[in-house]
This record gives sequence, C-alpha cells and structure tokens, in this order.
Amino acid sequence: MHSVVRPNAWTVIKLPSGNTRVILVVPNSTISLGKYGSFPANLIIGRPYHLTYEIQDKKPDEDFCRLRIVPTEELYADVFADEESSACETPSAEVPKPLLSTATGDGTEITVTENGELVVRSGREASDVLVRQTLTQEQIEELKREGSNAGKDVIEKLLLSHTALDQKTSFSLAKYKALKTKKYIRRFQMLPVDIPNFAHWQLEEREPGKIMDMRAEMLGLVECWGNAHFSGEEAYLEDPGATCTQGEEALAPIRPELLKGRWLVVDDTCGLLTAAMAEKMGILQPDDDDESDRNEPQQAPDSDDEEQPEVAPKKDGSDAEMADVPGTADKTGEATAKRPPPKPRASDFAIPFSQTNTITILHAASQPNLSFLSYWGFDATAPNHPPHPLVNHLLSLTWLQLLKPELDTTYSIPALTAAPEELASWKPSRRGNFHRKRRRFARVRHIVDATRTGNFSGLVCASTMDTVSILQHTLPLLAGGAPVAIYSPTLEPLARLADLFSISRRTAWTSGSAAETVDKTAEELERWPGSEDFPLNPMLLLGTSIQTSRARQWQVLPGRTHPLMTERGGTDGYIFTAWKARPAEGKVAAKGKFKRRKLDAGVVVEGEVAV
Amino acid sequence: MPTMATPHRVSPFLEPGLRTKPGSLAVVQLSRDNFLPVYLQEHTGEHDGYIEGAVVNTRFGSFPHSTLINVPWGSQIRASKVDTGSRGRKRKRQLTENSEGATPEPATNGAKTDTAEPDDADAETALKQAVADSSGFVHILPPTPEIWTTSLPHRTQVVYTPDYSYILYRLRALPGSTLIEAGAGSGSFTHAAVRAVYNGYPGTTPRRKGKVVSFEYNEDRYHKMQEELTQHGLDGLVQLTHRNVYEGGFLVDGGRSPEAEAVFLDLPAPWEALPHLSRRRPTTDDDGTEWVSPLHPKKSVYICTFSPCIEQVTKTVSALRRLGWVDIEMVEIMNRKLHTLRDRVGLNLQVDRGVNNSARDVDEAIARLTEIEERFRENVRPSRGEDTEMAEEEGVSRTRAAPRTEEDAAAPTAKFPWQDGQLITRGEPEIKSHTSYLVFAVLPVEWSDEAEAAVAAKYPLGKEQKVVGAMDKKAKKAQRREMLEQKKGDRKSRRKERDEKLAEGAVV
Ligand SMILES: C[S@@+](CC[C@H](N)C(=O)[O-])C[C@H]1O[C@@H](n2cnc3c(N)ncnc32)[C@H](O)[C@@H]1O
Ligand SMILES: C[S@@+](CC[C@H](N)C(=O)[O-])C[C@H]1O[C@@H](n2cnc3c(N)ncnc32)[C@H](O)[C@@H]1O
Repeated sequence: MHSVVRPNAWTVIKLPSGNTRVILVVPNSTISLGKYGSFPANLIIGRPYHLTYEIQDKKPDEDFCRLRIVPTEELYADVFADEESSACETPSAEVPKPLLSTATGDGTEITVTENGELVVRSGREASDVLVRQTLTQEQIEELKREGSNAGKDVIEKLLLSHTALDQKTSFSLAKYKALKTKKYIRRFQMLPVDIPNFAHWQLEEREPGKIMDMRAEMLGLVECWGNAHFSGEEAYLEDPGATCTQGEEALAPIRPELLKGRWLVVDDTCGLLTAAMAEKMGILQPDDDDESDRNEPQQAPDSDDEEQPEVAPKKDGSDAEMADVPGTADKTGEATAKRPPPKPRASDFAIPFSQTNTITILHAASQPNLSFLSYWGFDATAPNHPPHPLVNHLLSLTWLQLLKPELDTTYSIPALTAAPEELASWKPSRRGNFHRKRRRFARVRHIVDATRTGNFSGLVCASTMDTVSILQHTLPLLAGGAPVAIYSPTLEPLARLADLFSISRRTAWTSGSAAETVDKTAEELERWPGSEDFPLNPMLLLGTSIQTSRARQWQVLPGRTHPLMTERGGTDGYIFTAWKARPAEGKVAAKGKFKRRKLDAGVVVEGEVAV
Repeated sequence: MPTMATPHRVSPFLEPGLRTKPGSLAVVQLSRDNFLPVYLQEHTGEHDGYIEGAVVNTRFGSFPHSTLINVPWGSQIRASKVDTGSRGRKRKRQLTENSEGATPEPATNGAKTDTAEPDDADAETALKQAVADSSGFVHILPPTPEIWTTSLPHRTQVVYTPDYSYILYRLRALPGSTLIEAGAGSGSFTHAAVRAVYNGYPGTTPRRKGKVVSFEYNEDRYHKMQEELTQHGLDGLVQLTHRNVYEGGFLVDGGRSPEAEAVFLDLPAPWEALPHLSRRRPTTDDDGTEWVSPLHPKKSVYICTFSPCIEQVTKTVSALRRLGWVDIEMVEIMNRKLHTLRDRVGLNLQVDRGVNNSARDVDEAIARLTEIEERFRENVRPSRGEDTEMAEEEGVSRTRAAPRTEEDAAAPTAKFPWQDGQLITRGEPEIKSHTSYLVFAVLPVEWSDEAEAAVAAKYPLGKEQKVVGAMDKKAKKAQRREMLEQKKGDRKSRRKERDEKLAEGAVV
C-alpha cells in the first residue's frame, strides 16, 4: 500500500458527509468535489494519505483554491470542549452551568446554559451575544454562494439564527450542529484505494450487487478461513529455449515439486475477491519499499496524454509480451531477487508465471471478469502488460479448459512452427502474430496442465454458480488439508451444501449404502461424479461449518456513546468452511470409545459426533 | 519439547508442504470441533513404555506417531492396536524383527497417488509396524491460526477468529508489514498476525520482511510463549519481549524502533500505552533525553485496541483523539455459527433421534384421528339407529382417508432417512454474545513545512487543464467532444475515453 498520493493513482476522497468518491489523481488537473468546491490535483500529489484538508477561499490574485491541512485539535474541537465542560463540573451558584459548549476552529464558541440560554462567544467580535434571529432561505443561499471560510460561516450563522436553538437539549444541539457541519463544511480527507476502502465504497455507495453484497466482515473471514497468505519466494521455470521450428515437444514440462502456495479462486465479484486474496498474498501491488517513498515520485508519467498507463506501448516482435524483462525489474521489487538474469530475448515458450504464491482463476465466460483490478493498475485483458506482480502470479482458465481441454482451440491446436528463413521473409506484423500465437499456446498449456496437476493450497469462492458443481470439479484439485472457504450472500445455498456432508450421509456412505461406491479406488472416489443421493463424496471435506458475522458500529462521544441508529441492511452474508480430507481406503470403523452426548432437547450437535 | 535449533525450518503454519514431517506441529482432528495439537516425534525407539514409540491416545483409539508421520495432510488415519495394558512390560523382540524390512503398509490411501515427492517417502524407520484397530480413526491437519485458536493451551482470554479476521483486515496487516502487539497472552492473535505479515524469513532476500513485535509482562506466559514460537518455527518472524509496555514502551533491541505500521493492543489499559505510540515525544514526559518513535516514520499507522468494557473504550478513544489519531471508530463483532439439520416430523417416520413423531400436516392428523375414532367405534357396538347412520358416514370418510394413510405408510418417503424432512439451519446452543469492543484509528505521518515545500516544488500549480470529479453536464460534454475530435480513430484515444468514463463513473 502506498503511503503518499502518487500521480495517476486511484484514490478515495472522503467528504464531511461520510460519503466517499473514488477518483484518479491526474497531475495538472483540477479536482472538483461538487458543492464542496474544487482544487488543483497537484496540491495533494506527493502528500501523505489520511490528512484532512480544508478548501480555502480563492486568493484575490489566484484563480484556484489552496488547501489547508486541518490539525486534529481542530477536527476534535467540539469533543474537546465537551470533555472540558464535563470535566470542570463544579457547580457554582452564579455561573449557569453549561450543558454544552462547542467551539469552532476559529475561536467561536457556542454554549448552551442550564437555563436554556444560548451564548455565542465569537472569537472575532470578542463579545457575548444572545441570538434570536432567523435567516431566510435566500440568505442561506447567499451565504453558501459566498462560501467563505471553508463553510464555517454558514454553519455558525445557521446556528445563530435558529430561534428554537435555546430550547433544544444539548443532545439535539450537537446533532443539529453535526448535521449542518456535514452539509456545509468544505473539508475532505484523502484515503488510499486499498481493499477495505474500495470494498466499502462499492458496498455502501456504488453497486453492492457487483460484489455480491460482500461486507468487510465476510472478506476478513474468507481471507482467514481460506488461509490466504504469502507462501514462498517466486520461482520460475527455466526457458526451454524453443526455436521457431519446435512445437509442443519443446514446452517446458510441469514440475509438480515446484508448485507451491497456489490458491484456486472462483470470483463473481468483478475481481474484488481476487484482489483481496492478492493483497493478502503480497501480489496486488508492487512492493512499497521505503526507497521508493524517499525518491518519489517515480516516473510521474510526464503529463502526456496517457492518463492511466495500463498498457505499455506495444513493441513489435517477439519480446513485446515480455515487457517485464529488461530494465524494469527494479520496479517489481522482489522480482530482482530470484528472477534468472534477464536474457536478451526469451523464447516463445518461456513461462512468465511464478510456480509459487499464485492465484488461479476459474471462469465461466471466455474471459474472466476482473475489471476491478484496474484500480490497482492491472488489466487482465491487456496483451502487453507493463510490470505488475499479478502479471506473473495470476493465472486464469475457463471451466472448459480445465475439464475438456481438448475442446479448447488454443489448448488443442498444435503450436505454429516455421523455418527461420521463412520467418525472416514475413512482414513484421505477421511475424509478430506468429510469436504471439506461440506464446499464447505455451501459456495456456502451462496454466491448464499445472492446474490439472492439482495440489492447490486452498479454494476460495464467491460465485453465483451452483457451489455443488464447483466443488465437484475442484475438490480433486485440492491438496489434503487445504481449506475451502465459500462466500454466499444468502444462507440457503450453503445450507444445502453443508447438508451433503451431514453425519448421517457420511455414515450411509461409509457403511456402503451407496452401491456405486463399491470397488471404486480412492482415486475414483475422489473424482466422484455425483449421484442423486450423493451429489458429492461426503468424505472429501472435514469440519464443514457455516457462519456469519456482523460488525455493529458505535458512536463514542463524551456522554453520548451508543450504537449507531441505522446501518446497512439487506443480507449479512455467510461463509462455508471446511478442509479437504483424504479418506482412508476401504472400510473404516468408527465406533469410538464413548457415548454420544445428547444436547439441547433432541438435537444432536454434529460437533459431538465423530466425523 | 523444542527441537534442535535448525536454522529457518519453515513454520508448518506458513508453508506446511504436502505431508506431515517429524519434529513438526500437526493437528489431530478427533471430531468436528475437537482438535488435538501434536508435535510429531520421529520413531527412535520405545517411548514412555510403548514399543510403538510415541502414541496419541484418544477416545477413538491409539495412534502411534509413526502412523501420523510422512502422510499427506488431511489423511484419515486408522487407530492402531497398541499394548496399552502392558505399558512398561516389554514386548517380545521377535515381533519387532518380524516386521523389520517388510514394506510398511500405509494406513492411508495417500502413498500411491503422491509420487510427486519421492524424497519424502522413506517411512521405513518404524520399529514396530502398527496394526490397525477397529476402534476408530482421526484426521490429521496442518496447523492454521484458525485451528490453533481453538486448540491452544489457554493461559489468558484469547482473541478468536471472528474478531481477529476483522481486526487484521482493518489493520491492513499485509505481507511485509511490521505489527506491534501487546500483550501476547496465549498467542492466539500472534499466530494469525504473523501469517498476515509473513513474506519470507529475515535474511533470505533483500526485501523488507514482515514481522510481529510482541510484548508480554507476565514472566511465566512470556517463557511459555517463547518456547511455543520456537516449536512453531516462528523465531525471527515474531520478536517477543518481556516488558510492561505502560512503562517501557515499544522499542526493541535496546532502543531501536521497530517502525511498525500496525498496532494491536489487548491490554487492560490501552490509554496508558498510547503515549508511547506517538510520532514525537508526548508533551507529558519531557525529560530532555532523545525520544524514538516505534512507528514507521513514512507510513500511516493503523491501530486496534480490544477491550471488554465500555469505560475502557471511552478512555481509549479520548486518549486517541488527544494524541492526534483520526478515523476513530468503534465496533463490536457478532458472529454466529449455524448448524444444518433435517427437521423430520411425521407419524410414519422411523422412531429415531431427532425425529418428531407427530403429525406432519393436517391430512396426516385427520387420518390418524379417523383411525382412532374407527377403532373406538369398533369397540363400542352400535345399539341405536342414529349411531349406525353416523357410523356409515364415518365409514365414507374413512374410505376416503384410508388410501392416503396407506400411501404414507408405504413411503417413509425418501430412500434414506437423511433425505427426509425439511433442511433447516439453527444457531449454536450457546453464542458468544460479547467478546470485546474494537476501537480502530489511524495516525497519519507528520507533514512538515519542509516536506511540503519540497513536494510543492515538484508539482507546481497553474498548469491545470481539465477537471476530474464532479462536473456539471455541460463541462463534461464539452470535454468529451474536444477529446474525441483531437484523436479521432486513434486507438489511444478510445482507451483514454474508456478510462475517462471509468474515472467519471467512479465519482458520480
Ligand atoms: C422522547 S419523548 C417520549 C416519547 C414517547 N415515549 C412516545 O413513545 O411517543 C420524551 C417526552 O418527555 C417529555 N419530558 C421531558 N422531560 C419531562 C419531565 N421532566 N416531565 C414530564 N415530561 C417530560 C418531553 O417533552 C417529550 O415529549
Ligand atoms: C487478554 S491477554 C491477550 C490475549 C492475546 N491477545 C491472545 O489472543 O492470546 C492480555 C495479556 O496482556 C498482558 N499484559 C497486561 N498488561 C500488560 C502490560 N502493561 N505490558 C505487557 N503486557 C501486559 C497480560 O499479562 C496478558 O497476558
């Protein structure tokens, strides 16, 4: 995660209302926040995140607004005033005890006394006023138009003019002020586009349906139960050095012993789940090492027209797709460490994918929908991608490629070959095509073959597809003990899934009730195609469990601490978790040397029974 | 028992490999929520009276370690016959010799499919070949923080998965981060945290390595935890210090800053520790000496404090505000586990546990009632005309009801009892309704005038061309038209327009 706002980065801008906007910070542009005002982007680039700014009034000789960093004492001025007033609670006969005192940043202080008087001490006029005027709507509009002093004037005037204010309790006064502040104050805070901020924005303000209503609680649970973590330095297969006359036979063979720390992901959240997994595996963004912070900005793409340098200019010929080879390795940080020394030119069959710490996406359409990854500078559809950790750690294949590769054109049609002289006689574009096709062939072969090798470290899933069918084909690909974590916005699909692993079904299976299982080898049972009674082999998962979490948010203020009155409703979300088992071959007795405990009026809690 | 200090034996929590290894932690799963951590011991001879070597005894039978070592993770392991009765009494040598040299018969199906790891496959060290017993089986799982949390030796209250998963998510504890933790307690949170920040052991590559910097002032717990970290291969990834952090703060190695970007405080009085977590010396204790911040100087720092009582929260939040933390938020996590079961109700269902042998629906109730009435009537002979009439009526309705009853009787519906009934979900019998309150906050970096001046020089003002963000419709249109005209037909411009749209879409 970057610690300063970088040029051409996506960022989150949080407004006083609590609403957020996600914008691309383009150097030499003006950022407009609608009614809150606008300011030059160059005023936030290179500055740290989490600062709160106030948009200042235009200076007479400038045609833009400058920003002021709001110190925290000012952000909390109201609360501090509250705390102080409740701290000196020595009641005196003469001085009416203030019920509430609030201070605005510039020294204006509003106090409600016990006798219900509203005293305003204006820092500027240095006199106490008891106010009872009203503002007309026009006057408010005018104030807003003037919009001076970062909106604080409006708030103050509104407070002053509220005739009923003195009859209000301190609580409603505070509420009133907070409300008006949210509406008029010209402040904003800069936040990075990381997973929590992005997901929150999608869920609360954009299209929650696109991310299957996935809440923070659920993402956190899925990441942990899916055991997502960094799992091994990247390692690459050696370039087989295939010449253009060589086909399939020159492909680098899969080396199962190198394949480590790979997660299978089925993602119908437009890439949010994938991004979350990638973040936890350290491959969502290039390392944000201290070095790069010190001499930032790095290559600020000098104000030329390409505002989001997603795709490198296409070089012609064979090394175009290998944009990650020369001279750029320092950008990917760790790449320098293990990557074999850059060769002048990689062969078409060189595999750019790390054998460790990878995500393999299974998708139902011909391309995976990972559009949200573009917020972290990755475009899954770009043929020539500039260096990005996901380029080397994200593999994707279709269900067809996994299950019936022979029907997939790229996989099954033999690689093009050509004699060098013939190749030399072609136009560059045709030559480029030739190499591109060969590279695609080698990569698809590698991805499919590696995936079918199995031994995945985990399966994580948030899909609109039937989970039973997903598990039927993915369970055999998991290593023993690998976790499975499946998110669903609703409970019912997961309940149906868990039911397939119920104790009684497992007992029936092991006691031979499923006639079809007789004489099947462990291998065959692992690839159990599903029957009406046993859609899945119930012995393949351990510790199946469903859970849901909900974070309840509180307001913490002096004397006014309570849970929020309203929060997002809709679905809470659920996750199903389990571990991949490797059942022993043949019958296994499960008598146990204990008595079943009966709990809770006739309901047998599954946990008490042998699995 | 700590194994010999082998340098960087990769923790089974982080990279367990495909098979169990001797000298490493494994988890024996007895039943769904019942886990037993076991440090697997190589078979070096008789152990504790068992000729089979070390043995795990459970209510499902006995499991010599030799049957648990070098098997694929997740394997189902059958119990073995061990001579529990004659512990201490030596078995005949002959037995041992008989099995010597014979190919050990693996208790699991794993071996034949796992040709991928030939180097691991020497399981022939067994002195005595285990003999399968029918008392039951267990599964063997790689340790994960989730399993460890439920099976660790409790020395304190611990943080469980629903809380720590949310905390680590919000703390942005990611590979390469340094996370400060106090107090370590039983190490539940520590294990989850180290998985989150792990990106290799120190010294393996030049990249900055993630680390958990942990503090515990209870000496006994400190020692236990240190031992555990070594056993789990986490030395170098977790740095544990024995200290009262209220007084001693968070520096390590005699005054060095850990440069943390995340902090987790599970302490009775977090506010007493907070002043140490500042960017510069807190005004309260200026004694003129040099002051070093334990925080990363160039990154925003995320904090979470974990307190059961609301009074603690009030004090913590108040202290956070005074110390300049922003985005202060407090939440509590409510987690529920759900069990699925079949709700089986019916008069004709087999009497079984969990079956409610009452009427399934009104029809079934009527059928049963009719039957009762009928039997009753058969016992009481009709003596008067009107009764006969009624009986006839009944007869009619009975014949109507009868087939239905038969149908029911014929079909204890499904082929298997577990397909009967409605699938329902139910909460656990007891839920954790309150664990603690979670306070979150962020401390931005200090932004000095010099830093501002330097950046301002790099990004001068006055060259602003276009507007990003909320624009009125006219301005938007004009801008787009302009752009289109500029680069008609150019691929680049199409790209750009798409990005533009993305950008606009993003802010509207
Ligand atoms: C929140 S409202 C009660 C709403 C009411 N329970 C309902 O369900 O509609 C509180 C009311 O108490 C009245 N109230 C406040 N202090 C009072 C006092 N000391 N004696 C009598 N009424 C009081 C206020 O005027 C206000 O109308
Ligand atoms: C509730 S436990 C922490 C549990 C831990 N988070 C876990 O998940 O296992 C609190 C621990 O903090 C330690 N502790 C309390 N005050 C401390 C202090 N001032 N400095 C260091 N440790 C302290 C206690 O000894 C105790 O072990």
